[in-house]
Amino acid sequence: MTQAINIIVLPVLIGLLLFLIPAGFRFIKGIIAIGVTLITGFLAIRLFGSEDIVFSLGDWVAASGMQTPGLNAYADADKYSSFSLDGLSKLITLFISLLSLLIAVYSIMYKTAGAMRNYHAWFLITLGFSFGAVLSNNLLLFLICWGILGLTLYRLIRGNDETSSAAAKKTLIIIGASDGIMILGIAIIWRITGTLNMDEITLPTSDLVRTVAFLALLAGSFTKAGAFPFHTWVPDYAEKAPATSSAYLPASLDKLLGIYFLARITTGLFAVGEWLRFMMLTIGVITIITAVMMALVQHNYKRLLGFHAVSQVGYMILGFGLGSLIGVAAGLFHMINNAIYKGGLFLTAGAVEQQTGKEELNELGGLSRAMPLTFFAALIFALSISGIPPFNGFASKWMIYQGIIDFGQGIGIANKLWIIWLGLAVLGSALTLASFIKFIGGIFLGRQRKELSAVREASPVMWIPMLILAMGCIGFGVFATNQIIPRLFMPVTGVFEYTGIWDSSTVSLLVLVSIALGILIYLMGNLKNFRTLDSFVGGEKMQEETSFSTLEFYKSFQEFKWLAFMYRKAKDKWFDLYDLTRQFLTWLGRLFSRAHSGILHDYTLWVLAGLVILLLLLIT
Amino acid sequence: MDALIPLFVAIPLISAFLIMLLGKLVKGFHRYFAPLTLLALLVMAVYEFSGLGTSSIQYTMGGWAYEGGFPVGIFMVLDGFSALMLCIINLIGFIALFYSLSYIRKYTAEGNYYALFCLIIAGMNGVVLSGDLFNLFVFLEVSVISSYALVAFGVGKTELEASFKYQVLGGLASMLILLAIGLIYWKTKTLNIADVRNVLDSGYSKPFYIFIQVLLISGFGLKAAIIPFHAWLPDAHSSAPSPISAMLSGVLIKAVGIYVLIRLFFNMFVFSHEIAVVITVLGTVSMVIGALLALIQWDVKRLLAYSSISQIGLVVMAFGMGMILLAKGDNLPVASLAIAGGLYHLVNHAVFKGLLFLNAGALEHRLDTRDLKKMGGLAPVMPVTSSTSFMASMSISGIPPFNGFFSKLIIIIAAINGKFYLLATLAVVVSIVTLAYFLKFQRFAFFNKSPGKSLEKIKEVPFPMSFSMVFLAILCLALSLLAFPSINDAVLRPAINVLMQSDLYSTTILGL
Repeated sequence: MTQAINIIVLPVLIGLLLFLIPAGFRFIKGIIAIGVTLITGFLAIRLFGSEDIVFSLGDWVAASGMQTPGLNAYADADKYSSFSLDGLSKLITLFISLLSLLIAVYSIMYKTAGAMRNYHAWFLITLGFSFGAVLSNNLLLFLICWGILGLTLYRLIRGNDETSSAAAKKTLIIIGASDGIMILGIAIIWRITGTLNMDEITLPTSDLVRTVAFLALLAGSFTKAGAFPFHTWVPDYAEKAPATSSAYLPASLDKLLGIYFLARITTGLFAVGEWLRFMMLTIGVITIITAVMMALVQHNYKRLLGFHAVSQVGYMILGFGLGSLIGVAAGLFHMINNAIYKGGLFLTAGAVEQQTGKEELNELGGLSRAMPLTFFAALIFALSISGIPPFNGFASKWMIYQGIIDFGQGIGIANKLWIIWLGLAVLGSALTLASFIKFIGGIFLGRQRKELSAVREASPVMWIPMLILAMGCIGFGVFATNQIIPRLFMPVTGVFEYTGIWDSSTVSLLVLVSIALGILIYLMGNLKNFRTLDSFVGGEKMQEETSFSTLEFYKSFQEFKWLAFMYRKAKDKWFDLYDLTRQFLTWLGRLFSRAHSGILHDYTLWVLAGLVILLLLLIT
Repeated sequence: MDALIPLFVAIPLISAFLIMLLGKLVKGFHRYFAPLTLLALLVMAVYEFSGLGTSSIQYTMGGWAYEGGFPVGIFMVLDGFSALMLCIINLIGFIALFYSLSYIRKYTAEGNYYALFCLIIAGMNGVVLSGDLFNLFVFLEVSVISSYALVAFGVGKTELEASFKYQVLGGLASMLILLAIGLIYWKTKTLNIADVRNVLDSGYSKPFYIFIQVLLISGFGLKAAIIPFHAWLPDAHSSAPSPISAMLSGVLIKAVGIYVLIRLFFNMFVFSHEIAVVITVLGTVSMVIGALLALIQWDVKRLLAYSSISQIGLVVMAFGMGMILLAKGDNLPVASLAIAGGLYHLVNHAVFKGLLFLNAGALEHRLDTRDLKKMGGLAPVMPVTSSTSFMASMSISGIPPFNGFFSKLIIIIAAINGKFYLLATLAVVVSIVTLAYFLKFQRFAFFNKSPGKSLEKIKEVPFPMSFSMVFLAILCLALSLLAFPSINDAVLRPAINVLMQSDLYSTTILGL
């Protein structure tokens, strides 16, 4: 119990103390942040091994034998401060602390983050409240932690120019809106069940009110995780925020938390009905396809990653939409995998940005020689996210496909459509690969540009975390079926069987063997005797000024007839819920504002009219 | 303790007089005397509040004997609700006055300012303490007439225009109120609130009293700026000097508008379902339209003024829901929750709206503009203003862990539990719109640009101004503690009790 309290309180307290340290001592703040993440990492590992327990603040005070003379404030809060340590929350806690440790290390040398006032303070506060959200068993406590995370998200972006301040504003409005909607859901739950403790609530989604409650909470989870149609803040934020902030919140912590809450509401709080499953599956595939289509045509590599941060969520939602054990496990596994490689991708993007100072794909190219380690890490992440075996992204996607095939055995309408879910999920994966070829090709491959000749590898403090994450991608992929799934995910979901035959380690071995064979053939055969020529296009030698552009190829996507229409509308923000609402509300506001003529006669008339109308209504 | 009650009115009246008299002779007299007066009042208010509990204290001015068991003449009552209001009035008053010490230097005739400030406080204290309708009206006029003068204090074109509109509409409202009071006196032969209740309890003709109630809703609705009686507010609150705007938006519309409405409709009239519905609907309409209007403003203070309409609407809606449930007589715990939410939000709104106007004043003080489009990038150069206004914005938009989150949460939970699903949804929507326009304020005032050469000259505001802002910002966080049940019980329960048991007020006073 004490460890669970400490892991929440310690980062928040230290974070608040960091506000007092002047901005000049940036490095010291960074070191303190690493220290705290180390401690919380240690605590998280200890927690992971501890037994499941539900306890309240009062239990903890009683157990720790603390004397609180004259102050019984905790007694009030007791009802609302229930914490729960179970398989799911312990798993998420563990990964939150691991990822935050790596990002904290990386942040020391990352200048954009360092230039921000109080970056480390907000970083630690985010960490503490993330643990708070995961470990709390009470919906109200959860909501408070959840809301504060929206606030820290807002503070982790600089906002010193027009676009980034607009992105910050949009982010907090969308997140805040989802919090407000969640309050509705929570209030309904309170009215129906009379309790807010998650372990005591199981509701069917049988009638309208309960369904509304479910949808309200679902909206909260989707917004945090960044799923359609509440996703529009993610690409904007990813583009404009420092890479560490993007890696930290939208790419990893928000995914972990959003999907954690999705797991809670779909597997614990509510028994989800068939139509709602159908809806979730639909949203899942829409998220996958639309976001990846948008990613394909991006020029800014951080924005491209932002759209992938959305697209991947679709797979997790698919997993939870299935509702089977394998589906849930796959959703959780994909969530963890996504946090690892997406966090890693943002870190590589940050390294590239810091070393080159450029954010556009068409200004980059050929960095693989200058930044080999970053290139290696980025390649692993890109292969993982595209679902290439034997990396982790493949392992979890494979499980999702299997889950969908199993789901097809059922009798409902959603079950009958399994081939659609499966087809679109696989298509999404293929398109992901396509867009990551653009990412890797655009940044690291091709000819090195002249102005980039001075670029050097990033500092070890930055590439070590990236490589650790890359190792994670490999490890989680290679040992998926025999170690990771049984050890990490089956305790959470329960034991399940696969229908397909897939043993990740054997397959990895086969992949390794075939690569080794290939190298052997290469060395043995007489293949070394080839000619070396400069690159050429259409028989013409490439001139200095004809740049090798990966982007040109992807333009053709935008020129397909139907796609062109959709892309144009997407550019005009036709599909952005935030923008549509804003325009509608502004229009309404203008309408009312026009009535305020500033003429006293009118205003006097309003008062009299109000009086007369009230009289007519009431005295009849 | 009884003896302190008239001092809440007497002290500010006397000091207004002294400031005018001695201010001419002793240099800087008003600069020291006015804050001390307000500080003394604040200490007294907190003292009374902490000692009061659920009891109530009556004071008969001049020791007039009761006439047949009923008090006549000037009669003052201090109970949980009025004590809470006294604390808010004098707290925000003191902070705004302390802020004025450096803010008001740019105006001439500082003495008049401080004297009027003391008068407005005297009027508001009188309104919340007064136990009879006539004195309530007199004190109401004292405070609003001084507010007319203070709105026009800048004597520019816009200030005078705003003040003129405010006077005409305010005068109209006062006329309606006076008419209603006259009618009540005609019918019940008494002006004492408790006594009126007593008479009404023994039967009344409904249409007649509905007529009176509508007059009062219109009159006090105008003072509280409830749509459609709100038109004066955006002009008046944005043209006044900023500390005065903080007073007007923070406490005046509550003390002379909401407080009186609530007091009369809960403790004087007998609940009727129609009136409760009307009040709820008016509150909801104000809440929604006010927020939409605030969304499109580019003048900081106008934005804040419309936001006041919206937030007051939320408070009125919460009380209205409580009234509906009480009128039905079932689901009393939910009614109590709604009223608790309304009161909590009332207190919170005084604090964060006061703070926001002080922030706007700080911006105006340094930049000489209220136009958001002309600001930007001020976060690094005005850190105190920036961080305090951020806290206030988050509070009013209902982001945890600030106080506004908890009061909105309570109101929404009460609405859901009372099955007012539409109202709960609207409250959430308005809360989102509120977040949107306050983030717009944050973005355009403090971010959006990197501070270029033009901004480097700008400095943070002087100590009295920044102290006031920091104090209120801390209060924004500290008031979150009211969400704890036991603290909430200690602070708000006396006031809630007065409103929940609507007969209690008259029975305790009349000793029945």
